[in-house]
Amino acid sequence: MSRTKVMNPPVSRFEASPSPLQVYLRFEQGILGTFSIIAVLLIWQGLSTGVFADWLSPLLGDQGASKLWIKPIFISSPTRVVAKTGEMMASGELWEHLSSSGISFILGSTIAIVVGIPLGLAIGWYRKLRYALEPFLLAYNATPQVVFIPLMIIWTGTGMATRVLIIATVTFIPLTMSAWTAVKTADPRLLKVAKSFCSSDYQRFRDIILPTSIPFLLSGLRLGIGRAMVGVVVGEIYAATSGVGYLINVSGSSFQTDSVFVGIAMIALFGLLLTALINSIEKRYAKWRPSGAAK
Amino acid sequence: MSTAIDRRAPTGLRRIYEQNERLIIGVGSVIAFLIIWEAAFRFSWVNPTFISGPSQVFLAAIKTFKSADFHTDIQTSALEFIIGYLMSIGIGVPLGLATGSSKRISYLVSPFVHILNIVPRITLLPVIIIWFGIGIWSKVLVVFLGALIPILISTYGGVKTSEERFMKVARSFNASPSRTFITIVLPGTVPFIFTGIKYGTGRALLGVIVGELYAATAGIGYFIAAAGNSLETDKMLVGVGVVIAVGLIALEVLNRVEKRFDRWRPVVESEKS
Repeated sequence: MSRTKVMNPPVSRFEASPSPLQVYLRFEQGILGTFSIIAVLLIWQGLSTGVFADWLSPLLGDQGASKLWIKPIFISSPTRVVAKTGEMMASGELWEHLSSSGISFILGSTIAIVVGIPLGLAIGWYRKLRYALEPFLLAYNATPQVVFIPLMIIWTGTGMATRVLIIATVTFIPLTMSAWTAVKTADPRLLKVAKSFCSSDYQRFRDIILPTSIPFLLSGLRLGIGRAMVGVVVGEIYAATSGVGYLINVSGSSFQTDSVFVGIAMIALFGLLLTALINSIEKRYAKWRPSGAAK
Repeated sequence: MSTAIDRRAPTGLRRIYEQNERLIIGVGSVIAFLIIWEAAFRFSWVNPTFISGPSQVFLAAIKTFKSADFHTDIQTSALEFIIGYLMSIGIGVPLGLATGSSKRISYLVSPFVHILNIVPRITLLPVIIIWFGIGIWSKVLVVFLGALIPILISTYGGVKTSEERFMKVARSFNASPSRTFITIVLPGTVPFIFTGIKYGTGRALLGVIVGELYAATAGIGYFIAAAGNSLETDKMLVGVGVVIAVGLIALEVLNRVEKRFDRWRPVVESEKS
């Protein structure tokens, strides 16, 4: 034991000035990830400006090399996307789209949460209600819910209400299913004990079912957020006059590829932010999970 | 939840009801729904154009199933689905195995997988249409991208959860990496691959429908969109019904296949949990 202690100082001195290889190994994930992203961006830029075509034309001849130049109208380019983002920020156009999408996202997912979670809990709790609604929910869950969009447009037109409805209809089902699963997997032993001590339905629900269901609800919420983003984009593609989905759609049909990529980047950014938010909430409430449910 | 506090042995009709309660209530609620829907249509409680009626939809279904156009639509959608889906399995499974077995490959690929997983793939639809036109290939690509991610992630997870004890034994006996891979990693990954394929199906179906609603000249999504645009609600609901049926059948088949391949999952794992 004492020997190793003596050996220690040189090791730490060695660590103080690590070799380049050690630095690389420690940050390998970050370095390789960044490298591959930069490589793709460079290739993208190169293809759209025709640099590769210029370089390789002596080898391949002008005819062959010209295939390596893809016009920006098809693929845009990283610099064009950044420039367009700046331009749209300055003109305020981007904020308009973002706020429009944001409002329908918040309204739609709020409705989905308010309807979906209580519905799932109720289905799990009341057997007869479950039997009655099961056929509809299972069929609905197995279907890509976007098929109902044309129907909703017939019902409510192409306004804000339709978009909110579309988001709510695609988002509520994962919430309902996860709340249902939560009640289903509540530890039967705990319920039996509570029953033996003459607890009321309400008490059992509040003290056993609700705490057990938090992690399930959070994973349902994570799925739901993905769905809600699909809802925002699809809803705005079909029925909107502003919003990020509208931006993507209209720019796409008028070959303004730069703007399409600005919209895609915005959606990606929001997805990353929301996922990070859910992750942090999940981490916090993971402690809540009673050991009985984890069995 | 509130199972039989009532311990009297039920007799006759009551027993039959109790044994089949789930079926009886389920079928009853579906029939009730259809009756209310038909009544709402017959007595014009709601504008009949908006909701049509079950009898109307049934008549429209008979007419639709006979028409040659509809067969083309089904064939087109099926073709898009199958090509895109096979491509996503063909690329997703090997890529998942590669990212699972090599740390470096996973570092290189993971930023893109992560971003693609978060962005709804249908966001890319307008660009894909610019690249591939409104024929079947744009939809094939949407299906491919939709199903690729769940298959890839699930396969990756399967490789990562290879039973540590088996791996140790293999190492102790000096098994070559390729042998370890074929005899331990691969069989252990099969159930995970099927789980991924199951999740991929939902995404793939979504891709077909959204892609065709958006821009197509044939296909079941196109059929629904066209019927909707001309306010032929009954015809549109036939299309919706076909999609629901396909979704249900696909889910049922995949559940069975998954269960079948689940037997492969190493027993040790279930002991651990």
